[in-house]
Amino acid sequence: MTRIVVAMSGGVDSSVAAALLVDEGLEVVGLTMRLYDSQHAPTGRAGSCCSPAEVDQAKQVCAQLGIAHYTIDERERFESAVIDDFVRSYAAGRTPNPCVRCNEHVKFAPLLARARALGADVLATGHYARVVDGGLWRSVDEAKDQSYFLFAMGLPALRHVRFPLGTWSKDQVRARARMLGLGNADTPDSQELCFAGGRDHAEVVESRAAALGLDVGGLAPGPIVDVSGREVGQHAGVHRVTIGQRRGLRVAGTEPRYVLRVVPERREVVVGDAAALQVHELRIEDFRRLAPLPEVGEVTAGVQIRHRGRPAEARVELDRDRAVVRFAAPIAAAAPGQAAVVYDGPRVLGGGWIA
Amino acid sequence: MAAKRLYAFAVRYLDHNATSPLDPRVRDVVIATLCDDGLQANPSSVHGAGQRARAVVEQARRAVARAVAAQPLEVTFTAGGTEADNLAILGAARALRSAGRPCGVLTTGLEHPAVLAPARALAREGHALILLEVDGCGRIDPGRLAATLREHPEIGLVSLAAANHELGNVYDVAGLSAAARAVVPEVVIHCDAVQAFGKLPLALAELGVDLISLSAHKIHGPKGVGALIHRRGRELAPALFGGPQERGRRPGTESIAAIAGFGKAAELAVAELGARREHTAGLVEELRTGLAALPGARIHGDPGRSTGTTVNVGFAGCDGQLLLINLDLAGIAVATGAACSSGTLEPSPVLRAIGQAPEVAREALRISVGKDNTREDVAALLAALPEILGRVRGAAIDPAGWREVDPR
Repeated sequence: MTRIVVAMSGGVDSSVAAALLVDEGLEVVGLTMRLYDSQHAPTGRAGSCCSPAEVDQAKQVCAQLGIAHYTIDERERFESAVIDDFVRSYAAGRTPNPCVRCNEHVKFAPLLARARALGADVLATGHYARVVDGGLWRSVDEAKDQSYFLFAMGLPALRHVRFPLGTWSKDQVRARARMLGLGNADTPDSQELCFAGGRDHAEVVESRAAALGLDVGGLAPGPIVDVSGREVGQHAGVHRVTIGQRRGLRVAGTEPRYVLRVVPERREVVVGDAAALQVHELRIEDFRRLAPLPEVGEVTAGVQIRHRGRPAEARVELDRDRAVVRFAAPIAAAAPGQAAVVYDGPRVLGGGWIA
Repeated sequence: MAAKRLYAFAVRYLDHNATSPLDPRVRDVVIATLCDDGLQANPSSVHGAGQRARAVVEQARRAVARAVAAQPLEVTFTAGGTEADNLAILGAARALRSAGRPCGVLTTGLEHPAVLAPARALAREGHALILLEVDGCGRIDPGRLAATLREHPEIGLVSLAAANHELGNVYDVAGLSAAARAVVPEVVIHCDAVQAFGKLPLALAELGVDLISLSAHKIHGPKGVGALIHRRGRELAPALFGGPQERGRRPGTESIAAIAGFGKAAELAVAELGARREHTAGLVEELRTGLAALPGARIHGDPGRSTGTTVNVGFAGCDGQLLLINLDLAGIAVATGAACSSGTLEPSPVLRAIGQAPEVAREALRISVGKDNTREDVAALLAALPEILGRVRGAAIDPAGWREVDPR
């Protein structure tokens, strides 16, 4: 019997993914990663994964499915690769994407290595995405599609992963879970930052930045300035604002102002009108190819800069691990540190981080 | 939904230091006691029905006492080895403190958490706590024990295991006790014999100790019952309150069936001690030889004095947990030395205490055999390991490393 490892968060998606593989007649081994201490994450709180209550849930599902289940302690790796990176990014005036980092550094490579160590050639997860002809594709349920978070896993890993839910809709998944009598069939989807434990992201950054030896001066309140440098208000910390944010800014004047950028060295938040927020181009760094793309060259593609955003048509100039994206029509800017993923229709061509 | 079992549940059980399978002869006694309508009363009750239940408890008490050459009055039944250790440490130290005598605790970092945790709890209450140094094999030097007691007059209680739960080391408890008493004649000595019971002959007087902890489920008895052997004349404060049972040392209505099963298991353990030792020693010899021949093997513990039931082995570059999972999926149950603290795995504190680096401690596997294991069990483990070691070593966990080892 072919052995396959399933990464189980305790949620309904990975549970159903495991059940589908059991139905295929595979020898399924469930692994759950313990990712963080739960002192700030009350156990059993719906909306997060991999806290101890969710580990228990995964174990219970595996017992129901009659498959083996083990827990892997990945707190150290998660802390250094995801939480600390998250804090450093905010302190540096960037807006990190911890889900992409987690997929890149925790969920795939280390788990794939473990799968192989356990005699399995393939790792399955409950992500909504597809592997088609060796490439990463959007899931059939576009509303649930998670390919945006997965681009950083790299082509070699893609050869050893399966996403059993790629052709399923969330409703179908829940229906299957109810049919199987799984206790998490109707657990709400996770939304918030899993490791924050009910705190907002700013509190996480503030509580950890000093421990990391970061310059926390930039996290203190500072001036809000307009594009000409004139002070128009005060902010509570550069990590507390997001590019494109309009609400919650205390600025003088009546016209709507949007956050254009932050300058942590000067503790400045720069605001401007809606037009100033529009960009024609952006730069991508640490670009990863998930399809045969030229090392240096230009392609026309759709570029998506937000999880729930739509791809915008653009010309992408590739130069090894860098790229310049020129949009056909200006779009509202996204923050440095966010992922920019390049699509050809449903297929992910590659992606990187907004510089 | 009916559970479909799609993976091989461990059929070869090599984890007897965690617990041992219930002996069918013990099971018969437990079930017979549970099912006997005449034995349902409270052993503390004055009526005849109560007296019949009491008789079962007292018969078991005599059996347990005989097993360690103690008097029945010296046996206090508890809900297991952990409770016996807690009662010994907390009870002895608090009694010493009440009497105005030195009440500090001296033990080692090798001890089971059931000893170390109450000792640390006492330290938080102001008792002195000293962890005696051990050598790289986990051996305790009687000279060092004596010297430490000489330097630390605040110590009133010494707690040392007769056999270590992870290494399988056996300690010369009689010699260590004598060394301690040569310095402080009245020092109270506790011996956690949970792992030694049924594997070595134990006699209260010969060990020269005041307190001995025992557990039933490590000797093929039921879970949830154990005993503290308590030498007469020594003060012991209770750790639980609320009833006169066990002379006030352990309140709560006795679990008659479990205690009866413990009595039977103790009886069998003593009667069959020689045969069990011979059998397990032969298996462990084969295990040690076979394991030592595997690449990168590192066997931990004292090669000179061992229970002859346990091998603690690590393989260079192989995470112990991954080996354990692989073996489990192959139907072979073993343990790592890892301690489960609040649901997560910390590398073996015992291996850390003998000076091993965390990486080495993470590699450790604890293999412990029992009377029902066969040479086929050992052979199956030795046959499964080479392929498992190969695949675990071949899979680098480092994210960057993973891409490098990708064969395609």
